[in-house]
Amino acid sequence: MNVEADLKVRPYDARIMDPFSAWLEATRISTVMRDTTWLWPACESIHFIGLALLIGGAGYFDLRLLGFMRRVPMAAAKAFMPWAIMGFAMNFMTGTLFFVMAPHMYVPSAAWWAKVFFIVVAGLNAMLFETTLGTRVLLLGPNEDTPMSFKIVGGVSLFSWFAVLFFGRMLPYIGTGN
Amino acid sequence: MGPFLHALQNSAFSAWVVGSDSIWAYPMILTMHTIGLGIVVGAAIVIDLRLLGVGPGIPLEEVRRVFPIFWLGFTINLISGVMLFISEAADKATQPVFLLKLGLIIIGVAVTARIRRMAFGDRASLSLIPSAVRRLAMSSLVLWGGAIVAGRLMAYLK
Repeated sequence: MNVEADLKVRPYDARIMDPFSAWLEATRISTVMRDTTWLWPACESIHFIGLALLIGGAGYFDLRLLGFMRRVPMAAAKAFMPWAIMGFAMNFMTGTLFFVMAPHMYVPSAAWWAKVFFIVVAGLNAMLFETTLGTRVLLLGPNEDTPMSFKIVGGVSLFSWFAVLFFGRMLPYIGTGN
Repeated sequence: MGPFLHALQNSAFSAWVVGSDSIWAYPMILTMHTIGLGIVVGAAIVIDLRLLGVGPGIPLEEVRRVFPIFWLGFTINLISGVMLFISEAADKATQPVFLLKLGLIIIGVAVTARIRRMAFGDRASLSLIPSAVRRLAMSSLVLWGGAIVAGRLMAYLK
């Protein structure tokens, strides 16, 4: 286990790389970005701030869905969602840059696929909520407990985002084959 | 301080944290530190944004309930942070960007505690947010953002 393993783009051997990673890494955009030494740490800093916005904003609404803080009107608890979405957008953009710079670190990584899986779960869960249950939010009065369906949506969301965080941070250490 | 820090860094605990091949050593402590970051800074963001006018429909007294979540995240990160520090004590204690991170966190906690007293204390008026509280909320956002950036840069600025 090398403590510094996650600190820099891993050295790679193009001969053992999957064809897609080998192609992407050889493109001009990938090469230029990799040669911009400050870009990786700058993107990481943004990625971690985005993480806090996402967990804070979405987590607050999830807790309300779970039935906590019942005196907060359901619709008002959604106030931080634009900030959560901004955090997600920051992380989607910086995450895409990481991927373009060093696809060989992600494509063969079980942790990365698990992270992507939980992003999809969280996204589908949010879409399901907005399209089917979302309108019932307004019918819910103050101090009222949330129905079981809301609790499930909130629980799935909270669990999924922390799973995304877990597999993202564990990415350099699990399922890499080294 | 020097010999003490070296003793920490050379302890059996440090050898386990840094040297173990188990993902339960360094990777798991690091991951707990990131989970704690999401909780502590996420909670601070919710408190600060509400004080800055986001979500006016949320009763201010209900924002009180976010503080225990803040302290939960802070405790996770204090414990995981101390474990990470011990494993590299002698190196980290002299790293300027680590000291910067530490300073930002200490001020950040002080600012958050002051927000708790000024905006949510027994004598606080919950109908009006004084401009002093708004300035504290803005400082809090800057301080926690700065602590995140400094923490990330610890991996690069030796």
